[in-house]
Amino acid sequence: MESSIFNANTTPVLEQVVNFAQKRHSILATNIANQRVPGYKGRDLNVDRFQKVLAEAIEHKNNPNAPLSPGGLVKTKSGDPMREVRDSLNGILFHDESNLDIEKQVAELSKNQIMHNMALTILEDQFNLLNVAISERV
Amino acid sequence: MITSLDISTSGLIAQRERLTTISQNIANMSSLRDANNRLGPYRAKHVILETDNQMATTSGAAGVKVAEIRENDVEPRRRWEPNHPLAIKEGRWKGYVEYPNVDMTEQFVDALEATRAYESNVGVIEMTKNMTNQTLRILA
Repeated sequence: MESSIFNANTTPVLEQVVNFAQKRHSILATNIANQRVPGYKGRDLNVDRFQKVLAEAIEHKNNPNAPLSPGGLVKTKSGDPMREVRDSLNGILFHDESNLDIEKQVAELSKNQIMHNMALTILEDQFNLLNVAISERV
Repeated sequence: MITSLDISTSGLIAQRERLTTISQNIANMSSLRDANNRLGPYRAKHVILETDNQMATTSGAAGVKVAEIRENDVEPRRRWEPNHPLAIKEGRWKGYVEYPNVDMTEQFVDALEATRAYESNVGVIEMTKNMTNQTLRILA
């Protein structure tokens, strides 16, 4: 019972998703705050890369001797998708040499928020399940 | 998440500063003397913003700050008013009065833009609060 709940892929995966979404939120908030700074270029975290690394980590987890831990994702400094900030939105370059599409930024923020809340809701459900299991036993 | 709040707050402060400057420009659009009673039309001011790395995180998020407030160097508007007590007495512009170089259209468009930018920062703060609430629900 214990192993099936704690060792399930989902909890650590969801934790990573929440972590990533929170980091990305602060980057996107930076874009909104800096929208009127001349020459400011929009920044973003690489979602595709994060999902690829996460998928690889889940695959890796199927190997029983290698648990999915944050070590595979967060603690490695180089190539860590949570630190890899890049210029985003190669769109129109405005007269002040900034390239921020405010609509796109807000849309990205909303998507990010939905992803964050979705992951948390699933996580919460799992903990509720765990609570039920514990209370049944007592 | 707390950093996101700080970043959005820096955005709010920067945009409010812009609005204050615009209000000042509009309020002074007829000022012919400065605060020290020296003759000379008021000059429109512009707020220059820049990225503030002071609250930068490892993942590259950063705030915004007011770098400087610069005066507009456009020539003042001159109106032919020879009977005005402050009319220019001699030279090429004799009989003209110099008025501030505040362009109303420009100021209003700027004000509207600053308001929208302020609102979008408030929106981000709402999102941050929502996400933090959701995260804290795990503890409940």
